[in-house]
Parts: sequence; structure tokens; C-alpha cells
Amino acid sequence: MKRNEHDAPHPIRQSKNDRWVKIAAYAFVGLFGLICLYPLLLTVTVSFTPESVIASDGYRLIPREWTLDTYTYIFAHSGARILKSYGVTVLITAAGTLGAMLITCMISYAISLKEMRYRNVIAFICNFTSIFSAGLVPWYVVCVNWYHLRDSIFALIIPAMFSVWNMFLMRTYFSAISPSLYDAAKIDGAGHWTIFFRVALPLSKTALLTVGMMYALSYWNDWWHTLMFISDRNLYPLQYYLYSIVSNVNAISSGRVPSGAAASIRLPAETVKMAVTIITIGPIIFLYPFVQRYFVRGIMTGAVKE
Amino acid sequence: MENKKRGFIWEMKHNGTLYIMCVPALLLLLLFCYLPLGGMYMAFTKFNVVDGIFGSPFVGLQNFGYFFNGNPYAWNAIKNTLIINFWGLILGTALPITLAIFMNEMKNGLFKKVAQSAMFFPYFLSWVVVGAILYGFLTANFRVDRRSGELILTGANGVMNRLLLAFGQTPIRWYAEPKYWKPIVILLDVWKWAGYNSIIYMAAMAGFDGSLYEAATIDGASRWQQIIRLTLPMLKPNVVILVLMSIGRIFFGDMGMIWGLVGQNSTILDEVNVIDTYVYTSMRSMGFGFSTAIGLCQSVMGLIMILIANWAAKKINDGEGLF
Repeated sequence: MKRNEHDAPHPIRQSKNDRWVKIAAYAFVGLFGLICLYPLLLTVTVSFTPESVIASDGYRLIPREWTLDTYTYIFAHSGARILKSYGVTVLITAAGTLGAMLITCMISYAISLKEMRYRNVIAFICNFTSIFSAGLVPWYVVCVNWYHLRDSIFALIIPAMFSVWNMFLMRTYFSAISPSLYDAAKIDGAGHWTIFFRVALPLSKTALLTVGMMYALSYWNDWWHTLMFISDRNLYPLQYYLYSIVSNVNAISSGRVPSGAAASIRLPAETVKMAVTIITIGPIIFLYPFVQRYFVRGIMTGAVKE
Repeated sequence: MENKKRGFIWEMKHNGTLYIMCVPALLLLLLFCYLPLGGMYMAFTKFNVVDGIFGSPFVGLQNFGYFFNGNPYAWNAIKNTLIINFWGLILGTALPITLAIFMNEMKNGLFKKVAQSAMFFPYFLSWVVVGAILYGFLTANFRVDRRSGELILTGANGVMNRLLLAFGQTPIRWYAEPKYWKPIVILLDVWKWAGYNSIIYMAAMAGFDGSLYEAATIDGASRWQQIIRLTLPMLKPNVVILVLMSIGRIFFGDMGMIWGLVGQNSTILDEVNVIDTYVYTSMRSMGFGFSTAIGLCQSVMGLIMILIANWAAKKINDGEGLF
């Protein structure tokens, strides 16, 4: 009742004001959402547009004609190459994610336990690497000269196998498990390995999914390690295959490449580039609706500092 | 209590398993983070592959001399890094906060859900994919007839050029015009991370005390006033942390971004060459010693910046630092 009296002097102006905030909110967020979605939709439709239509009309969201020719062409001409790259990508994503999860879970389980005396020392050893690093060149020289990672599939798996950020994320999840559950297992005579595999991991299925997705995404999207270490085309993952197509085109359209060279390099057609892009991010698009919330949860957990 | 008196050996005997669990991760850190620290010695040598890191001739500070005695490319790279990071910091803070606050004003429903999914999607794309998609916006195929001055389209034109044409403007050869690329790189960086960062702010806002807003409503405060007087001040600690984290990394460019978007296009590269890409290119052209020296300077500056940022965070947020 009191509230009505209070609102009475200027109820109309106020609600009008609030409505403008709401309109601004919907307009701004909607617009930005479109800016994020439009490029993707454009890429999809261009990959289904005939090359001749692109050449005459330019890039359009809704083309005059639709075709599957680009995909047929790609699979007829570079099908083997793309399949091979797909294989490499799937292999490094699967092997990398599995290994990374095991390594990350073990250390984060250990340092989530209060009874571990030097857990802060270990946390600091991890943290320090994100504060101070040797830089690209020493890392590269050590990888190539000492570990012989050049042109090895391991170069795409091992250096990215442990992320300190994901470790702290996982530790936050493990810390939330009640110690009494561990104690119960201990009374039954279980050691740390048993507790880790039988109690801690089964209790953190969502966390495993969240962090696993983060590793999988970083492996799937990785092309940088290929740029650094791989010159053997048979070891190119999808992302690097796409990179080699796109960066060639960029260099040529800048006009710096001598004209003779430009003539001899066959430009991949416009639609082919977009189709390869779609092939590269295909699984992400399909999985996105299902995995999105795990990422949101991961970011939120990571954002909350202890 | 008792635990404190017991020594290292007791700890290893009783919790040894836990330390064994840490070994693989620590081994990876040793191999890929700590041993390369030793490789920084290369900065003081005239490195050659045959003699290796510690066998190459020692040259003292010579490599640093090359760098500081006005190597224009190096200074250009430092300038570019700071400019790109500065604008990325300003826009990359303002946009996610705006998005988060506005998302908070919206009713839960399909529109909000779809908008959030759309905003978050760029985070899932690699820079190479973004580069490929960008091509669909910027590609240019036209020429101007010498005699008549008439514009002739010779092939596919991207979305940006079609827009320019629609408004009666001359299209632009984006990939041959360096001057547009700093803004392009900055805007794409902000675009890619906006959804991700807005989630961080929304997480913080979900923890705000709802009764404060109720009280404000009863006192007749409009939504706008509530945003200005309540939400923004309460977001401050999170903003401070994120901004200071960015300041701590202000000397580090995103090589993946620059290389994925610009790659081997040397016309544009000079305009957006950051320290990290400069180190990578000079590794081939100037030798490993020199490029290690630049990387060393970058790491030391980075360390100083992050310590300052951490100190500032503690000052502003009552003792809570960055790490």
C-alpha cells in the first residue's frame, strides 16, 4: 500500500523511462547477436551457392540459386586430402583430450586435498608459468633440438596437453566434494588411486565434461603448433589445411606476389573456401547447442575466485 | 597441528601417491615451460644450430644493442602491440559490460536464449576460421577503367564492398590497404571475446543481492538509475580484476589472431605486426639470438607489468590480488 503512495507523483514518466531501457536492451543485444550470427549463416549459404552466382552477385545471405556442386567438387578433387586432415584432427583431439584429462585430473585431485602438505608449492610451480615464460624462440629450439618434435604427430598433442587454467578449474570442482566421502572410502581401506578413480571422478561427471570440452575445443581449433612444427602435408590437421588455402589467397589479393607466381597458383574458388570452412567447423556447429552450457558453467566457475 | 612438526620424509611416505599423481603434469611444465627458461641464454649468444644453445659463441649484450639502437621494425611492433591492446582493452571491457547489463534487463525467453547462443558462438571459432569468414566480407574484385573512369566488377565482392556499392561509394581493396587493418583486428578481437566476457559479468551479477534492487524500486528508482547506482558500482571489483589482467598482458600480442587473419600478407602485416609475430618472423630473418633477446625483454616487461597490476588489484580490491 505504501508503495503506491510513493510511486504516485510520477508513475507515468518512470514506467516510460523503464520501457526505453528495455527497448534499448533488446535492440542492442539483438543487433550484436545478429553481428555474431550473420557471418556464420553467410558462410553456410555461400558454400551452397553456385560459383557463377557469387561472381556476378557477390556474397549474399540468400542467393538466387542453390547447389551442392561445391561439396561434390571438393570431395571429388581433394576428398582424400580432406579425409586425411580430418583423421589427423580427430586423432589429436581424441588422444590429446584423453591424455590431458588424465594428467589434469590427477594433479588437481591431489592439490585439492588439504592433507597434502606441499600443495601450495605445486600450485605456485603451475602458476609461475603463466606469470613468466621463456618466450617463443627458446621453447621452439628446445622442442625441435632436444625433443625432436619437428614433423612429428606428437608435436600436435604433447605441448598442449596441460593447461594450468583448466587445472585450477578442475581443482575448484574437486574442492567442492565433501571430504567425508573420501574419509568413508578410507575407512574401507581405499588408497588414493581407488578414491580418485572410484569416488572423485564419478562424483565430478559434469566437471569432467566441462573441462574435457575445453581441451577438445582447443585441440580441434589448433593450427598454431602445425605452423610451428609441421611441414609434412600428411600431418596437416583440418584447421591448417584451411589456413593454407586462405593465407595463399590473402597474399595474392594484396598484389605483392609477382604476377607470374599468381598466375601459376590456382586460386581456390570462393565457394570452396567457404565449404572447407564449414567442413572444418561442422562438428562444432552440430555439438554447439549441447555443449554450450558446459562452457558457460566452466567460465562461471573459473571466474569465481576462491 | 601435528602435521607441521612432521618432515618431508614423513609427508612422502604417507602422501607419496598424491605427489606421484602430480608428476606427469609437472613433467610437462618442466619440459615445455621451465627448461626453455634455460634456453633464454640464447639471447646472449650468436646462436647456431650446430653448436646448440650452450655451445654457441657468447656475445654479451650485442643482441639487445641491435634491438634498442632504433631497429624500426621492433619499435613498430611494440607500438602496434600497445595500440591494439589498448583499444582492445577499452572496447573489450565496455561492450561485454553493456551486453551483460542489457541481458539482465531482458525477460528469460527464446529471444534471450538465441541471442546469448549467438553472442557466444565466435568463442568457438579458431582465428583461421574467422580469417576465412572475414574473407567473405572483404574480398574485392573490381577495376577502374582507365579511359572512362568507370567501375567494372571483375568477380565476387564481399559484403563490405557490396554495402559500399549500395551506398554509391567506391569499393575498397581491403587486402591491399594497410590503414584499415588495426581497426579490423581490434574490432574482431572484441567481437570474438564479447560473449565470453559478458558471461563473466553475468556470473557476477547473478550473485548480487536482489533485495537492494527491491529497495531501490520501492524508493522510486528507475531501471536506468538502478543500473548506474547499483549494478555498475557492484561490478567494479570484477572490472578491476579483468582490466588489470589485461594491463598485465599489455606487451603480449595474440600471434594466433594476427597470423590467422593476416597470415602471409606482407602488405598488411607491417601495420598489425605485434611483438609476438615480430619475434616469429625475425626468428627466420634475424637469427635465434636476436629474436630470443626481444622475447626476453617482452617477458621481463610482462613480469613487471603483472606485478604492478597485482599490486594495484590488492590496493583497489582490499587485499585480493590477481594470483
